[in-house]
Amino acid sequence: MSPARRRKLLWQAVESAILLGALFLILFPILWMALTAFKRPVDLFGLTFLFTPTLDNFRAIFAHPWNIGHTLLNSFIVAAATVAISVPASTLAAYAFSRFELPFKGALFFTILATQFIPAVVVVLPFYLLFRDLGLLDTVYALIVVNLAIVTPFATWMLKGFLDAVPTESEEAALVDGATRLRVILDVVVPMIWPGVVVTAVFCFILTWNEFLFALILTRDDAVTLPVGITRFRTERGDLWELIAAAGILISIPMFLLASVIQRHFVRGMTGGAVK
Amino acid sequence: MAEVILRNVTKRWGGFVAVRDQSLTVKDGEFMVLLGPSGCGKTTTMRMVAGLEEPTSGDILIGPNRVNDLPPRERDVAMVFQSYGLYPHMTVADNIGYPLKLRGVRGAERQRQIEAAAAKVELGDLLHRKPRELSGGQRQRVALARAIVRRPQVFLMDEPLSNLDAKLRVSTRAEIKHLQYELGVTTIYVTHDQIEAMTLAHRVAVMSQGEIRQLDTPEAIYDRPADLFVAGFIGSPPMNLVRGEHASGVFTAAGGLRAATRIAGHRGAAMLGIRPEDVTVAPAGAGDLDASVYAVELTGDSVLVTAQAGEARLIAKADRAWRAEPGTTIGLKLDATRLHLFDADTTRRLNPE
Amino acid sequence: MRDRTLKYLLILPAALIVLGTTIWPLAVSLVTSFRDWRLTRSLAPGPFIGTEHYVIAFTDDPDFANAAMVTALFVLIDVTITVVSALGLALLLRRAGVLQSLTRAVLILPFAVSPALVGISFRFMFNAEMGVFTWLAGVLVPPLQNFVWLADEWAALLVLVFSDAWRWIPYMTLVVLGGLAALPKEPEEAARIDGATELQVLRDVTIPALLPVLAVVAILKTVFALKMFDQVVTLTGGGPGAATTTLAYLVYSIAFRWYDMGYASAVAWILTAILVFLAIWYMKLILRKPGQT
Repeated sequence: MSPARRRKLLWQAVESAILLGALFLILFPILWMALTAFKRPVDLFGLTFLFTPTLDNFRAIFAHPWNIGHTLLNSFIVAAATVAISVPASTLAAYAFSRFELPFKGALFFTILATQFIPAVVVVLPFYLLFRDLGLLDTVYALIVVNLAIVTPFATWMLKGFLDAVPTESEEAALVDGATRLRVILDVVVPMIWPGVVVTAVFCFILTWNEFLFALILTRDDAVTLPVGITRFRTERGDLWELIAAAGILISIPMFLLASVIQRHFVRGMTGGAVK
Repeated sequence: MAEVILRNVTKRWGGFVAVRDQSLTVKDGEFMVLLGPSGCGKTTTMRMVAGLEEPTSGDILIGPNRVNDLPPRERDVAMVFQSYGLYPHMTVADNIGYPLKLRGVRGAERQRQIEAAAAKVELGDLLHRKPRELSGGQRQRVALARAIVRRPQVFLMDEPLSNLDAKLRVSTRAEIKHLQYELGVTTIYVTHDQIEAMTLAHRVAVMSQGEIRQLDTPEAIYDRPADLFVAGFIGSPPMNLVRGEHASGVFTAAGGLRAATRIAGHRGAAMLGIRPEDVTVAPAGAGDLDASVYAVELTGDSVLVTAQAGEARLIAKADRAWRAEPGTTIGLKLDATRLHLFDADTTRRLNPE
Repeated sequence: MRDRTLKYLLILPAALIVLGTTIWPLAVSLVTSFRDWRLTRSLAPGPFIGTEHYVIAFTDDPDFANAAMVTALFVLIDVTITVVSALGLALLLRRAGVLQSLTRAVLILPFAVSPALVGISFRFMFNAEMGVFTWLAGVLVPPLQNFVWLADEWAALLVLVFSDAWRWIPYMTLVVLGGLAALPKEPEEAARIDGATELQVLRDVTIPALLPVLAVVAILKTVFALKMFDQVVTLTGGGPGAATTTLAYLVYSIAFRWYDMGYASAVAWILTAILVFLAIWYMKLILRKPGQT
């Protein structure tokens, strides 16, 4: 074997070892929590992959007193309503930003981007006081409103990225062909950026679904969502890890599926098209 | 069908003037080509006629009506875009039928008109495809069919052939010319390709830096370019232009070039222009001037000879059998009836008509 | 309707949402930060006290000083690890291969996990008695056998970084991979033909070309690290002591443990000011590139 070839093989071995290590680090925590979800409490200390699996944990979290079904429903309502309100509004705004000259356009758009940088905790303080006065603490309505704060600027930013990438010729063709601007948006623009709308909606759904701080501060019992719900299994009698793991599976599986659907566009999310 | 009139139209973006005080009348049924390099304002001019851009000042008339304040949909124009602007999510039939749908043409009647338009551009069997399943040439035809499906007052075409390969461009060019002849619709056609302009137009408007430099028939523009810009822009290979002095009807340049121009009343710096096909190769000493061969290029039907005479480099078109080594001294003969003289300062043509 | 009216109507709904859900609370927080308002005393807003809260924060509050220090440390370690690892991993993943495509496929998973769940899961895995990572660390490094990770100030901070890096490194790797894919191949190929070794190609051609993307990664990660809150609650609870109490968590504690809305708003605004500064920097960076707004 030539030295050059030996060096190459050695380097490939090192690469493979690093990648295997990375794979282990990424997957192991997920795998371990998944296993824990099927363990009986006595198996928790075993640190073993060999145990008798049980579905008791899933039964337990759906039963009294945990009633995770209700929490699940809250999470779904909040995420779905937030997306349903913010994505259409953001689509229209993104279109205006992408296609028209607006006074103070730069400043307006900067404001929209900058809101994503603002810590959620500064937004939630006034809302906590407002909702307390209105008697809306611990309701899904309160959560939907504050989640709009996070999701709407983000969706506008993301959709503008998609719109900027679409050539305007088809829209102009429709204008010349006799369509009004609103008709152009409905007949031509929305169908053309539909994949982008779906990606944005999914991204916003994931963000809202996983949102923790607002739910922690604004809910107590009735409107609790899943991320706060899992903290409920840390009781005075100790942490019920097997139930936490089971609930964790319940939160994560739908998000894994959604994330796979939009995998190709995932990167756009946070970077807003700065990196394709 | 209608005339299109631009009256003192200016378009400004901030400090940048895209179109400057332009006036232009396109006659009813005329095929008008706006020709110029990119950024000369030709596309902006067309887009203002379409209503896709608003002029900063001036009037635009289609037929008897001032249309400045009308949105595109109320101007009754049809447009073919450079990248076709098809609706990617609609079938070919729906693409062609969209203008009809917007005008409330329904069911069987719409179908009939779609099929008639498709047949005219030989698209009949592709009606159920989506644009992404079509070749570039086929997409181009869909765009054409969508433009002719309703009988608009004006056709606007923005570089419609520039995305086609060379061969297809030639055949589609002829088809567009035929369609326009058959339908007789006033047409404004934007291109940077002088061959398209020469072959298609009734009249050509040559534009540069937001202004029309010459508006005339293709023949006149080729034979009597109005200024240095038009002279240099039209023709391939371009017209030879030599800088020199002009006095008492004689042009002289460094390198021994002397030519009688028969133009009186002009004195001073001038540019002499002559097209390569009006320059013939002769033995050394037998021409109007001697030059040294710089390069010999066979183009197929002829040979292009580039020759150095003093500062100037001239191109002559020679018989396709002609050959010479670089460095050989040859003579060049200029056709005295085909000389163009331009004032070097104003760039305007000095020859009388 | 003409476009010049329509365009304002189009942005109206989103503008109202942003105005109502972001600008309004920001303004209210700012005003509140100049007030003495403790819910333990009164439900109504108290009197204006000027900049007193800001003065206290910067001169006379060990908790704030500690949180600022913890946050700075956390951001520094977290951002460094994330940028370096994401770059390294992305470079390894450029090549085709079974292991490479498998790794690329799982990169999106951690980011889809709720940060709160990440925190609580890592708490479980670093548990003293039955934590699998505690056990693993003991096997690999025997002196760590009975080490209680979350009870040690430095270790707790490192576990917090680990949990956040676990969620972000794969995502940022995808970002860098996107940047790498967008790079033209010719300069690297030219460098190889010119005689550069792979390391030289990396140092002289690839990484310089990738700098804008790495800057985006670094700034974004800084922003999200500064805002990091969920895992502090579910993993360390800010402890042991206040060893992992970040600024965001401190705001939460002041507001909802001590119910001092005025002071909480002031600290929140200090954090906001830092983030807005970063936002401006970030905007300049990404808007500088032509054609990408």
